[in-house]
Amino acid sequence: MAPPNDSSQPRLAAGCRWAPSDKTGTEENRMILFPEGAIKLQGTGRQVLERCDGQRSFGEIIADLQKEFRAADPQKIRADISVFLEQLQRRRIVDY
Amino acid sequence: MFPSPLALIAEITHRCPLHCVYCSNPIEMAAAQSELSTSEWTSVFQQAGKLGMLHAHFTGGEPLARADLTELIAAARAAGLYTNLITSGVGLPDERLQTLVAAGLDHIQVSFQDSRDEAAHWIAGAKAHAHKIDLARAIRRHKVAFTVNLVVHRQNLDHLEEMIAFIQQLEPERIEIAHAQYYGWALANRAALMPTREHVENALAIVESAEERLAGRIRIDSVVPDYYAKYPKACMGGWGQRLMLINPAGKVLPCHAAEVLPGLSFENVREKTLEWIWQESPSFCRFRGEGWMPEPCRSCERRTEDFGGCRCQAFLLAGDATATDPACSLAPSHHLVESAVSDANSRAISAHSHPAGSFVKLQAQTRDHWKYRTNRE
Repeated sequence: MAPPNDSSQPRLAAGCRWAPSDKTGTEENRMILFPEGAIKLQGTGRQVLERCDGQRSFGEIIADLQKEFRAADPQKIRADISVFLEQLQRRRIVDY
Repeated sequence: MFPSPLALIAEITHRCPLHCVYCSNPIEMAAAQSELSTSEWTSVFQQAGKLGMLHAHFTGGEPLARADLTELIAAARAAGLYTNLITSGVGLPDERLQTLVAAGLDHIQVSFQDSRDEAAHWIAGAKAHAHKIDLARAIRRHKVAFTVNLVVHRQNLDHLEEMIAFIQQLEPERIEIAHAQYYGWALANRAALMPTREHVENALAIVESAEERLAGRIRIDSVVPDYYAKYPKACMGGWGQRLMLINPAGKVLPCHAAEVLPGLSFENVREKTLEWIWQESPSFCRFRGEGWMPEPCRSCERRTEDFGGCRCQAFLLAGDATATDPACSLAPSHHLVESAVSDANSRAISAHSHPAGSFVKLQAQTRDHWKYRTNRE
């Protein structure tokens, strides 16, 4: 499966959802639940997945986060997020 | 304080319309009239949610045999749990599937016994195969995650590629290739279920190739059967570490087989809270930590990974629940597993003929071969 392109619309895969808010340890973390387990997300990972609502395009999400993290190299942000989403796609947690 | 459990296995009934020869339910099953009520299960889910549990796995028997399954799933969701239905698929017409999904079902796992109708009939003792195919098609019309659980063993590992190809076209998100484990009925039928070395090695290669081919489309999970592995499985992620099972009568167990262990008294949700049972009960504390471990486990660097393997298997094979799991190559009683493996590799694989029409005739036909799972009278 290829990495996402600018017009892809990443979203959580069927049967994958955010844990109810009282399940999280802190304000920092949120969890995504899927059939065989859960992953804890914080920082950038969390910010990326919160934007994967099936409406926003990958291009829009990247642009948003490049603005958010002005100090970081925009190309690196794009590359890192692409790899992150590909890994989650392989685990069938994200579709795009 | 011991960390909270992650998942609840809600074994809501032992009733089942199938008779699978690999079933890991206890041979002594809970009677229908002893089953927890809807409100009792609701209280259990609320406690589980407050304890910090994340997942509820609905299983049995056949969980669809519970008329209140929709209410149970809704109750688990209301308690904040992710809901997973582990089912044979028998008893799930489209309207009922819709109702379950609407009630908040997150994930459904459907078992398949084979790619071939007749072979599936042999294994399950019932003609369920066509129903499962219909169900798989229906599931694809709903927004729910779908896993196919393919149970593999001596009777079907010779055509694993065919079975994977068959399952692939049902389009699940995940495929679990589950080597039969020997508990309950499966232990009684072990000789008929034990694969050969060739089966196991071929399976490894076939699964690896299928994983690559299906990467990004379907995820495949498979584990080498413990009899053929060097080290034992970390059964349930360890006794009382991550998982809690509640049986149909409300008994709280660290796994589905633990009632076979002598000298342990298990608590009931009708009498005690889940929190107390998890944290304080003698049964849950019994095999936590390292104090109970014999050598070689006590000094073994793997002890925090596999916890010395499965307590129930140690008891069932070696007669001692505190012993190193005989599946471990370092276990003093490893010869018990070695001789079963050796036997499996020296016998011919018996061929089937056509399964008889009725279950009673099928039982008679296979009497010398294996025992079909049957409900209590």
